[in-house]
Amino acid sequence: MKEATALKPIRKITWKASVSLRRISASSVFLYAACLVVIFMTACAIAPQWIAPYSPEVMDPNQLLQPPGAVHLLGTDYFGRDVFSLVVYGARDSLLIGVASVLVGGGLGGVIGALSGYIGGWVDVIVMRLIEILMSIPGILLALAIAAAVGPSLFNIVLAVSAGVIPNYARVMRSQVLTVKNKPYVLASRSIGSSELSIFLKHVLPNSLSPFLVMATVGIGSSILTSSGLSFLGLGVIKEIPDWGTVLSQGRGYLTVAWWICTFPGAAIALFVLSVNVIGDRVRDTLDPRKSGD
Amino acid sequence: MNKRRASNWMKFVLVSAAFVLVLTGCASSKGAGDTGTPKAAAEGSGSSSSSGGELSYALATSPDSLDPGKSGYAVSHRVFRNIYDSLVSELPDGTFKPWLAESWTKSADGKSYTFKLRHNVKFHDGTPFNAAAVKATLDHTQTLTGQARTLIGPFKSAEVISEDTIKVNLTEPFEPLLSGLSSAFLGISSPKALQQYGEQYGKHPVGTGPFKFVSWSENDQIVLEKNAEYNWGPPIADNKGASHLDKLTFKIVPEEATRIGSVQSGQVLAAETVPPQNILTLKNDPNIKLDTAITNGTPYTLYFNTSNAPWSDLKLRDAVRSAVDVDTIVKTLYLGTYQRAWSVLTPGILGYDASLENSVKADAAKANQLLDELGWTKGADGIREKDGKKLTLRYLESSPNREKRNDIAAIVQQQLKQVGVDVKLTITKDTVTPLTQGEYDLVGNSQVKADPDILRNLFRSDRVYGKGGYNYVKLNDPGIDKLLNQGYQETDPEKRKAAYAQIQQYVIKNALALPIYVFPYTVAHSSSVEGLKFDLLGYPQFYDVTIRK
Amino acid sequence: MTGAITTRLFSSLLVVLGSSMLVFIIMYLLPGDPVLIMLDGNASTPEAIASLKSHLGLDQPFYVQFYRYFIHLLQGDFGVSRVNGDLVLPKILEHLPATLTLTLVSVSVSLVVGILLGVLSAIHRNGVIDFAARFIGLFGISMPAFWTGILLLLLFSIQLGWFPAMGSDGWKTLVLPGLTLGLIGAGFIVRMVRNTMLEVLGEPYILTLRAKGLSERSVMYGHALRNSLIPALTMIGLTVGELLSGTVVTETVFARQGIGRILADAILSKDIPVVQGVIFFTAMIYVLTNLIVDISYSFIDPRVRRSQLKGGV
Repeated sequence: MKEATALKPIRKITWKASVSLRRISASSVFLYAACLVVIFMTACAIAPQWIAPYSPEVMDPNQLLQPPGAVHLLGTDYFGRDVFSLVVYGARDSLLIGVASVLVGGGLGGVIGALSGYIGGWVDVIVMRLIEILMSIPGILLALAIAAAVGPSLFNIVLAVSAGVIPNYARVMRSQVLTVKNKPYVLASRSIGSSELSIFLKHVLPNSLSPFLVMATVGIGSSILTSSGLSFLGLGVIKEIPDWGTVLSQGRGYLTVAWWICTFPGAAIALFVLSVNVIGDRVRDTLDPRKSGD
Repeated sequence: MNKRRASNWMKFVLVSAAFVLVLTGCASSKGAGDTGTPKAAAEGSGSSSSSGGELSYALATSPDSLDPGKSGYAVSHRVFRNIYDSLVSELPDGTFKPWLAESWTKSADGKSYTFKLRHNVKFHDGTPFNAAAVKATLDHTQTLTGQARTLIGPFKSAEVISEDTIKVNLTEPFEPLLSGLSSAFLGISSPKALQQYGEQYGKHPVGTGPFKFVSWSENDQIVLEKNAEYNWGPPIADNKGASHLDKLTFKIVPEEATRIGSVQSGQVLAAETVPPQNILTLKNDPNIKLDTAITNGTPYTLYFNTSNAPWSDLKLRDAVRSAVDVDTIVKTLYLGTYQRAWSVLTPGILGYDASLENSVKADAAKANQLLDELGWTKGADGIREKDGKKLTLRYLESSPNREKRNDIAAIVQQQLKQVGVDVKLTITKDTVTPLTQGEYDLVGNSQVKADPDILRNLFRSDRVYGKGGYNYVKLNDPGIDKLLNQGYQETDPEKRKAAYAQIQQYVIKNALALPIYVFPYTVAHSSSVEGLKFDLLGYPQFYDVTIRK
Repeated sequence: MTGAITTRLFSSLLVVLGSSMLVFIIMYLLPGDPVLIMLDGNASTPEAIASLKSHLGLDQPFYVQFYRYFIHLLQGDFGVSRVNGDLVLPKILEHLPATLTLTLVSVSVSLVVGILLGVLSAIHRNGVIDFAARFIGLFGISMPAFWTGILLLLLFSIQLGWFPAMGSDGWKTLVLPGLTLGLIGAGFIVRMVRNTMLEVLGEPYILTLRAKGLSERSVMYGHALRNSLIPALTMIGLTVGELLSGTVVTETVFARQGIGRILADAILSKDIPVVQGVIFFTAMIYVLTNLIVDISYSFIDPRVRRSQLKGGV
C-alpha cells in the first residue's frame, strides 16, 4: 500500500512525458536548434580556449575597430580586442551569472514558498505578507541597493540579481504546494501514518516542481538581462574578461560607428535567452499537469 | 513649474481614460483583439519646434544647483553663466577687462581691492545692482562650501564704501582673485532673491545676465529667456544689446547615443560632449558643425597616493610610469581627437611648463629593470612578489564611464600586467568613502580653473581630501608649500610662472602623477547655429548666438 | 464582497507600510557615510560634519531614526532630499505622472501586442504563424531594455525621423519608450494567452459549442478568447512591478522625467528620504493595481466568485 502511493506520482510524470514525446516531432526543429545553442554556449563557458582564436585580453592598438573579416571573424572592438573571442570567453561569466542567480534566488525562494505553503496557518500568512512586501518593491531597487552597498564583483552581482527574484519563486512554489498538498495521494499517505517530513519530501515537493522548473529555466535568461541592466546603470563589474551584458552596455556608444562590437554579444544574449525559453516551454508542455486536462 | 506639473497630471488622466476605454471596449466587444490604438488626438503640428529664436542645447549631466555659491560642477557653470554677470572679464591672454565693475584698484599690500561699479544695471527681479548686492553675494559664498569659496581664497570681508563702490578685503595677498571674480561661480546674485528664497535659491536664481531663469524641471530641462533690458554684456562679446535668442533651453540627456541622435535628427540644435568615435563621423555630416574648446585647469591625471607602501617609493612609481604607454592609450581611445597631457597643468594656462613635453616615455624594458632592481620578482602567475607579498596597485576611478576614463583603467591594467604589476580596479559611484579612508594607490582626476593656483588645492600639505582639498598624493613637502604660497601671493607674473614651473617639474620628476589627456569640450550643432563662442575655461557663450533661418 | 475588499485594503496598507520599513532598514545598512557623500569631500572641519549629522538626526541610534521616520511618514511628511534640500513629496509628484503615463502606455502595448500574438499563435498552433508569433513575443524579453531602446531610437528617430529621440513633451515622445517597455510585458502575455487559450479550447464546453454548430470565428473570439483574457489581466498586476523596474533604464535612455531616474540617483547618492518616498509610491501603485485587477477579475469571471466562496467555507 505504502509503496503503491509512493509510486503513483512518479508514474504520472513518466506517462505524461511519453505523451508529449509524440508531440515533439512537429516543432522539433526549434527545440533541437535551441539545444544546440545551449550546448555550444556551455562548451564556450567551460573551455573557451579551445574555441576562441585569440586571447580576449590582448589589446592590439593597430587593429582598432576592424569590421568583421577573415582575420577577425566578428571584427575588433575599441581596445583592439577580437570580438569573437570576447563573445566566446564572455559565455563563462554570463552563464555563471544566469545559473548562479537562479540557484541562489530560486533556491531560497523555492524553499521559503514550499515550506510556507506546506506548513500553512499563521506561518503562511506572515511569510506571504513578507513576500508581498518584497514584491511591491521593484526588483531593480533591491539589485541597485545591494550592488551599491557591496560594491561590484561577480559574486555581488549574483547576489543583487537573485535578491529581486526570490519573491517570484516563493509565490509560484507556494501556490503549487497548496494545490498538491490536498491531492488524494497526499491525504492517503498521511492517513497511513507517514511522517510530515517524508510526505513533504516524497510527494509534495516532487509534484510541485514543474512550474518552478519552468520559471527557473526562463530565469537564467532574465538574470543575464538584469545584470546587464546594472552594468548600464554604472554598477557593473569592470573585468578583464567581461560578460556579454557588460560588453553590450559598454560598447553601446559605438553602435553607429562599429555595429559589430555590441551586436554580436547582444545576439549571443538574445540567442541564449530565446533558446532557454524554447526549452523552458517544452519542459512546461511536458510537465504541466493541466495540459492533459486535469 | 506648478502649471507644468498640473499639465503633466492632466496628460496622465487623459491617457488613463483612454486606457480604461480601450480595456472596457475589449472586454465588451466580441471583435478581434486589435481594436484601435489608444492614442489621444494628435495635437500640435509637425516634429520640429524651434520658432526662430530658441536654442536647445543637450547637456550630458544635470546641474546640482543654480546657486553659484553652492555648486562646484562645470555643468552648473555652463547653465548659470547665462544668468549671472561677473565684476570682471578674463580674456584668453589672461588679462582682465571691466564688466560689472568699471574699474578697480589694488592696495599696495595686495590685501584689498576696490571696485567702482557700473550704473544702470538691474537684476531680473528689478532690484538695482549696487555695492550692497556685491557684498551680499560674497558674504553668501562664505556660508557654503562651493567652488566659489575656493575661488575667493583668503576672503576677509566686503565693505560698502558707497552705492557704487565696494572694497574686498583679504587676509593675505591673493593674486588669482580677479580670475576667480571673472568666473560665474562668483557671479552676482540679487540680494532680494537670496533673502527671499533662502535654501531654495538654487532653484530660483536671479542675476543680471543676458538670460532670465524661467523654469527647471528636474532631469528634463532648464528654460531661460531673453533679458530684454540687457545692454551690459562682457567686452569679449560682439553683441552690445539684448541677446539674439529669445529662449535658451538646456535639455538633460545622459545617454550618449540619444544626445548625439537628437542633434542628428534635429530634435535639439546643439549637444555637448561628443564622443571621439562620433566626432569622426559627424565631421562628414553637412548639416552638423563641430566646435571644440580646450578646458583649462588640470588635465585628466592619475595621482599616486604616496602615503601607502610600497608606492611611497619613487623608483617603484617610476617603474609604473615607464610601463604605462600614455600615447597608445590616448590614440586608442580618443582616435586622435584628444591631446596627450605632459604636465599637471593644461597648456593654455599661465605658468604651463612646455619643457616637460616629451620628458617621459613609455619603456617597458626600463620598467622591468627597475622592478628587478627593487627586488620584486615574477611569481608563477606572472605577478611580481617581494617578501611573500604581491605587487598590487589599487586603482580608483568613478563610475559612470565619463570621457572613457574607465577604459583608460582597463588599458593601464593590461599594460601593467605585462610587467608583473597586478592592478585591482575599483570603479564605483561612491569614490568619497575610499578617498576619505585612503584606500587607493592611484586615482584619476581633472579640474577646470583659469588660474594655476589650482595646484595649491592638489599639492599643499594642508589641502587634505575631506577638508576641502584634493591632495590625493598626500604630498607633505614644505618646499612645495612655500612655492604654492608664492604662486598666489606674488604679483609679478614672471615670478609666478617661475614658481609654478618649479612645482610642475617637481611633480613629474618625483613621478607623483601621470598626466593623461587634455579634455577638448566638443559641441555638435546644426549648421544653422552661428556665433557660438567659448571662454578661457572652455565654457560655451550663448550671448552672441544667432539661428539662421 | 465588501468585507473581502475591506480586508484586502487593510492588508494592502500593511504591505505599503511594510515595504517602507524594509527599505528604511536596507538603506540604513548600506555602507558609506551619507554626510560625507553629501559634502562630496568638501567638509571643512570635523565639527562641521558633526553638526550636519546632528542637524539631520543621523547621530541618533537606529531605533530613534526609525521611529522618527515612521511617525513622520504617518503624518504624511516625506522629509527633504539630503542632496539638494528639495521637499520629497512635491518632487515625487512632479515626476510621478510621467512614469505613470509611460507605465500605462507600456501596459497597453503589452496587452495589445501580447493578446494579438497569443491568439494568433494558439489558433495556428505549431504552424509557422505560431512560431513567428512566439518568436516576436520572445524578442522583447530576450534583450536588455537599454539595448532594445537604443535600437528603436536609431531606427525610428535617427534613420526614419518618425519619433523624437528624447524628452517628456507630447504623445510622440511616449511611443519609443512605451514600445521598449511594452515589448517586455508582451513577451509574458503572449505566452500566457496562448497557453490558456489552448487549455480553454480543450474544454468540453467548446466541443459542445462546436457541436451546436457555432461558427469557428464565434467559438474562438466569443468564447475562447474571452476566457483567456482573464489570466492576461492578472499578468498586468504582476508585470506592473517589472515595468516599474524597467522605467529606471528606459527613462535614462530616452532622457525622460520620471521616478525611475530619481530612484536610481537617490540610491547611489544614499539620499534616503527620496528613496523612501519613491518606494512608498511604487509600492502603492503595485498594491493598488493588484487590488483593482483582483476585484475586476471576480466581477468578470463568475467562476472566481464561486471558488472564492468555496474557499471561504
